[in-house]
Amino acid sequence: MHFLKRFFRRLLGGTEALLSRMYGWQWNPMHQAGTVSALMLLVLIATGLYLVLVYRVGDPAASVARIAADPWLGSWIRSLHRYATDIFVIAAVVHALKIFAQDRSWGPRTLAWISGLVLFGIGMVLAVTGFVMAWDSFGERLAREGGRLLDFLPIFSEPLSRIFAGEGPVPSAFFFVNLFIHIAMPLGLGVVLWLHISRVARPTVLPPKRLAWGIVGALTLASIVRAAPLGSAADPLRLVTTTPTDFIVAWWLPISEKLSPGMAWSLATVFGIIAVLIPRFTRRPRTASWAPSVVDPRLCTGCNQCPQDCPWEAITMVARTDDRPTLVALVDPALCVSCGICAGSCAPMGVGPAGKTGRDQLQRLRAEILPELAVSLHMPIVAVTCSQVPSAHVEAVRALGAHIHPVTCVGNLHSSVVELFVRNGAPGVMIFGCPPRDCVGREGPKWLQERLFNDREAELQPRVDRRRVRIGTMAPGDLAGTLAAFNAFVRALDQLDAPVRESHLDIEIECEPVPFEDSSV
Amino acid sequence: MTPLRTVSAFVTTTIGLALLAWLSAITFPLHAASESRLRLSFSARPERIEVCRTLSDEELAKLAEHMRQRVSCDGVLATYTLRVDVDGMNIGESVVRGAGLRHDRPLYLLRDYPVPPGEHRFRVSLVRREKTDDDAAAYAKAVVPEVDTGLYAGRAQREASERARRAGAAIPSSLVLDTTFVLPPLRVALIRFNSDKRALELYAEETSR
Repeated sequence: MHFLKRFFRRLLGGTEALLSRMYGWQWNPMHQAGTVSALMLLVLIATGLYLVLVYRVGDPAASVARIAADPWLGSWIRSLHRYATDIFVIAAVVHALKIFAQDRSWGPRTLAWISGLVLFGIGMVLAVTGFVMAWDSFGERLAREGGRLLDFLPIFSEPLSRIFAGEGPVPSAFFFVNLFIHIAMPLGLGVVLWLHISRVARPTVLPPKRLAWGIVGALTLASIVRAAPLGSAADPLRLVTTTPTDFIVAWWLPISEKLSPGMAWSLATVFGIIAVLIPRFTRRPRTASWAPSVVDPRLCTGCNQCPQDCPWEAITMVARTDDRPTLVALVDPALCVSCGICAGSCAPMGVGPAGKTGRDQLQRLRAEILPELAVSLHMPIVAVTCSQVPSAHVEAVRALGAHIHPVTCVGNLHSSVVELFVRNGAPGVMIFGCPPRDCVGREGPKWLQERLFNDREAELQPRVDRRRVRIGTMAPGDLAGTLAAFNAFVRALDQLDAPVRESHLDIEIECEPVPFEDSSV
Repeated sequence: MTPLRTVSAFVTTTIGLALLAWLSAITFPLHAASESRLRLSFSARPERIEVCRTLSDEELAKLAEHMRQRVSCDGVLATYTLRVDVDGMNIGESVVRGAGLRHDRPLYLLRDYPVPPGEHRFRVSLVRREKTDDDAAAYAKAVVPEVDTGLYAGRAQREASERARRAGAAIPSSLVLDTTFVLPPLRVALIRFNSDKRALELYAEETSR
């Protein structure tokens, strides 16, 4: 499993880097794979509404041929419907592989993984029924294979395959049921989609507007320029030499046709079980870097910030068991994914995974890092880097003289760490995170921006010169962008006065631990 | 976006869309031009092989009134040997039986045999495997139902005619189609069961809808 994970990490990382080079990370569709598939569902619904109005179950092949022959509307809408299906499948597969490669498929994310598989399965059934609706040679081929596979199961009292044998016309009832499945299943899709994102506090369902319109526009243009081909009308008593096959949806078809139905079902079942059990295979012991957050009730002021910032709704405020008049935060370990974002959200530094709380970060800085930096005559610029960013970028920034301060996620970084660096004489602190829509902790770059520059709770104190702090993005494939951002920051710092190292420095911690009887919360 | 990146994005998008359009409609070779097929497709009820006897008045009297059936039959559905010969060469032989776990459903047949195009002599036979004389049809004719009286008057006749109808709807104990036919390339010759004529027939003149 680890080998597979490494393989996909490299494969996807390489593709992602290539696309970032071509489009820039802001426009990289691979950072948006999940939302792109949701966008495609909207496109499919919109185009499908038109198609269903002109489709006739009594004469499917002829009605679809009429649609395809209409150059003004039908042709490109049908093609857009088909290309959107393909993009949906590709985006969903990329999304799933990314989640798998990034170790995000287990624990509290299991529900999202399983519901994602169900969504994909429903999507594939919809795609297949859609192709069958057209009733061209490809649709017939799919229907024939589907019938062969279904006849193996003890479901139908009569074999389905005989409908396509040519003994008589294919009954309209078949096309009606097929159409019904094609239209009714998206309703189920909506329910499963809701389940898929139900554990996330602020789900991002669609890509940014510009990217969304860009994708829809490009697909529309492709649909106009190159309409999706339609095979010859299905005829059970004629063999066709070739059939235009949608390989993206029906890649399995040539394989399945060569296997016995029992073997095909066995293979599908084995792969299905493996996919469902991925969360079981990939789960990690909830210790060390996978340990869930804990709350120190002595420090919790009941400010209600960590439940708001937690991307997984893993924190709730509950009544205290002592006589203090506030509520206290409570982490549900079953929902916590150990992203550490709560550590950055807590002004008194009382919450976070073990070893990652604000206090832990400050302690490490004081004990290990600052003494090491203090021996140098001039403090270097500090680059805080997320553990997920490409190591080549980190090394390139180090080569430019920066001191690298790694964190698990930039959302985990407490603003006091930035303050401590600056007040210790660092000319500047540049924080490099992942592309915002590709953050493993979901909302790291977003909350960091708010805390450092927009006074969100656990904010960077006003006494820190904001000109010495900057946020950047290290996107795979965009090393030039990383270096340009860092060099621009260096140039901006050159315009400022020399940094001052404060001699008697102590970061104010709002709540010192106080003796407290009940620490079991 | 820099002009260079705009150009690279445009080129990448164009290549991506071309790839998408290609993958969306790959022309897969499916059948060779020198290919054609013989297809057998039909459904019919197998015969019911029964051993019947007429119950005596004493036996009937022991049964509850609604259970009093004059002729009692035990039996199973017949199985058949399907044999397909093309130009005298056997290309398929198998045992076919009724559908369902207990094989008590109608018999459904759907077989495709690759046959090269051209003139061929096709011989398809479906012959019952069970050898018996006392099948339901024969028995139904032989039985002389006694006249029931009262509420059940005419019951024995109704039972006999129902048994005869069922036997009539079933496949005959032997079905043979022996015909010569020119099979064009890329065509399917369909052999089906004509339930009115109770015979196999070749259907290949017209294409389906």
